Amino acid sequence: MIPANETYLLNRVQNKGSETLASYREHGGYVAIEKILKENTPFDQVIEELKDSGLRGRGGAGFPTGLKFSFMPDPEKDPRPRYLAVNADESEPGTCKDRILLREDPHGLIEGILIACRAIRAEAAYIYVRGEYRKEYNNLFAALAEARAAGLVGKNIAGSDWSCEIWMHKGAGAYICGEETGLMESLEGKRGHPRPKPPFPAGFGLWGQPTTVSNVETLFNVPFILNRGARWFRTMGTEKSPGNILCGISGHVERPGVYEVPLGISTRTLIEEYAGGVWKGRKLKAFFPGGSSTGLLPASAIDTPMDHDGMKDAGSMLGTAALMVLDETACTVRAMEVVARFYDHESCGQCSQCREGTQWLYQIFRRLENGQGRVEDVELLDSLAHGMAPGKTICALADAAAIPTHAIVKNFKDEMMEHATLGRCPLSHDHSTKEKREPAEAGA
Amino acid sequence: MTTRQVVTIQIDGQDVEVDASKPLVDALHRSGTDVPTYCYHPGLSAVGSCRICQVEVQMGEAPGRVVVACRTPISEGMRVFTSTDKAHAVRRECLEFLLKNHPLDCPICDKAGECDLQDFSFAEGQAEGRSSEPRRSLDKRKSLGDVIVLDEERCILCSRCVRFMDEVPKTPQLTVSGLGARSTISTFADRPLTGNYQGNLADVCPVGALTLKKFRFQARVWNLRKTPSTCGECSRGCSITNEVLRNNELKRIRPRYNADVNEWWMCDTGRFALEEHSLEGRLAGSMIRGEAGMEPASAREGLERVADALRTHGQPVLLGSAWLTIEEGQALVALAKQLGTEARFVTPPPSELADELLHTDDACPNRRGLTEVGMRAIDAAEALEAIAGAEVALLIGERIIETVGAEALAELPNTVRLFSFDTVALDVPAARAALGTPSSIERDGHWVNVDGHRGMLTIARPAPTDVATLIQNFESLSRLITPAETAGGAAS
Repeated sequence: MIPANETYLLNRVQNKGSETLASYREHGGYVAIEKILKENTPFDQVIEELKDSGLRGRGGAGFPTGLKFSFMPDPEKDPRPRYLAVNADESEPGTCKDRILLREDPHGLIEGILIACRAIRAEAAYIYVRGEYRKEYNNLFAALAEARAAGLVGKNIAGSDWSCEIWMHKGAGAYICGEETGLMESLEGKRGHPRPKPPFPAGFGLWGQPTTVSNVETLFNVPFILNRGARWFRTMGTEKSPGNILCGISGHVERPGVYEVPLGISTRTLIEEYAGGVWKGRKLKAFFPGGSSTGLLPASAIDTPMDHDGMKDAGSMLGTAALMVLDETACTVRAMEVVARFYDHESCGQCSQCREGTQWLYQIFRRLENGQGRVEDVELLDSLAHGMAPGKTICALADAAAIPTHAIVKNFKDEMMEHATLGRCPLSHDHSTKEKREPAEAGA
Repeated sequence: MTTRQVVTIQIDGQDVEVDASKPLVDALHRSGTDVPTYCYHPGLSAVGSCRICQVEVQMGEAPGRVVVACRTPISEGMRVFTSTDKAHAVRRECLEFLLKNHPLDCPICDKAGECDLQDFSFAEGQAEGRSSEPRRSLDKRKSLGDVIVLDEERCILCSRCVRFMDEVPKTPQLTVSGLGARSTISTFADRPLTGNYQGNLADVCPVGALTLKKFRFQARVWNLRKTPSTCGECSRGCSITNEVLRNNELKRIRPRYNADVNEWWMCDTGRFALEEHSLEGRLAGSMIRGEAGMEPASAREGLERVADALRTHGQPVLLGSAWLTIEEGQALVALAKQLGTEARFVTPPPSELADELLHTDDACPNRRGLTEVGMRAIDAAEALEAIAGAEVALLIGERIIETVGAEALAELPNTVRLFSFDTVALDVPAARAALGTPSSIERDGHWVNVDGHRGMLTIARPAPTDVATLIQNFESLSRLITPAETAGGAAS
């Protein structure tokens, strides 16, 4: 039974024509921004409200949103143009939460963008949409056109003297363009190579101007907080991670999907109640709590609360709350081979440790899974991951590959050893039906 | 340009005054601390991607952090530790990744001996690699045009070459293509590189990925004798290093850092002016006119012919080369004074290679210097006119025959008595004697460039035997033409 928690994020998506302006208006849309414009609410009051709400970014890092907005320089002292970059390049393996919002409730995002732009005094927002999200792009594009026609985007919004433009940009399929500085480089028309920080986007962002980068779901939360107040927001979730979160559950469960849950909910409730339990009556073996970049946890961690601190204490991360479930027949080494292949493929190649390390990790996991592993590989994997992270590279992609590697060595060392000593996968998976990818070392 | 701000920081326990407008790595290098760098080059923007320059930094009481020195701004009171266990460990880790796919073909690599990756591996690396995976197999000889060849396997993707093309000649032509470990350096649609600054790519490449086609497999760099000098291909006078192999052949010319002139760079015209110094066809001793034409003779005999002519005929024409040093110019002016004539230098036509970076349109490396010592510049036409109306003419200095024009000189009637001091022999009907002279890598002295900076020449190899310097020859001539009684009188 799905517990009767209060929901707000996904309430409107059930409505017919939820992606239209009419439907959004009918359900209280654009009230928050119109109120702000009518009452000329001071900028810092909006930011204070967000700070009070304790909203943390839903893009994976969990940084407090109000605080991030407050990093933008004072326009009195720094008159440069300012931008909001909206990260809709949802590409973390397992994550599909922003997708539903973009497709079914695009006006909610647009209102969130407008409020954020108003708060940080940005003159334009750029939405970077994942290239594969065609329907999502089209729906958002149509919604934007509707909002523009209704005077809600562009010059003199809702009859006020405030203007704000929103532009859309389609990604071309690189995971690294979801990294905030890679995203900005890509938006500028360059290769999506992340920039070294500092300087941070608030000082030197898009085209070198002050910029805030924010995730879709984060911005989607903003109108709700302004309409209903920070206190209401804090009635859901935990003290340090308030609010609801969209949790995408995939893998070996009966009912995979995107569920809206309060932060801090136990992983057991998510798997057993929301997702209908592990499929085919099998037992849980392991799970990635928040996408492939978060450490693989064993079944014993099933009671870990789904929030930033809970997952951190369990030795993993909340990430994007994309729960990926592995049943007892799954091989964790095989799972990591797939994950490592992904990072090998997606590393931008700037930093030495990441470029060479992601490839090296993949080569070892593949060897181990295919029966050419050695006992010392387990140690080597851990040591390589240590050489790649934390914080040893320009962006966090190396960390994203290193974290699950550390986790599998910590949590599933025996299974790895078994692969090495047996000279094969103990679960005797037959991967032959799946076409093997060309070896990574074959070159470009 | 950011202005210099001096602050005091501590590097490995020593207080050092450093320039805070530069990244930390610059301060480390200036203070003599050896921290390796691959993607960082002082003349290019810092991207902080290779991660090899990691050091430990402590601010106040906060615990030490590992940072990349090339992207770390300097602040007062910063304490930097370059050789703590942690700093060594992170650099070693990074090095292991860099070597993961590097072919380690140092024995056949032109860069061996001056390769940053080789040096650092030798200093810090572990003797055995932990990787048993096959290395990347990519194109080992990809042509990037007439100048550069790329070995994709050796490339460590530091992107210095990409940034050089973008930032220095401002002709973006290179890019990193592909993702991750499949990345390679390439040009758009594999087009060949163009421009007059391609040779610098081989200098900025920290490994043996980009090498000069002309230098490939020509020499092991540790066999090259290196001497500082100045380029003579235009009036910029870039500071260079001449690199000579054991057989005295000039194998390579490379730019030498000079903040006022060329910084780290030089153009390909100067870099590949190797033929100017070829030992083939060099004139040693002299050639004098005998019954069967020009015949080999000793330098002494040649010089006596010159002196004879100067003694018997008045109003000689003295034409110096634009490549004379200021010291040679001064000596020539003194000689001209003694002979009661004027010393002039002949300028080649303006160069069409002028650009916004280094190359000027003036091919004279010492126009300013020679003008300052009192010589007047004339062009080849004016020079020929002067020679044609004279009884005796002296053509003095390297490349003078080429500048005035061997063909035009051949047209002169043999009533003109022509004498030359050049690296090659003058063989025209009017020639009476031709003496060898040292080329610009065989003599020392100074040139003054277009902006008034002095560039020095040093001897990179000895001149052929029986070739005296111009200054020695001028002194000898001066003695030989001085009437004996005056000389005796002066001596008594």
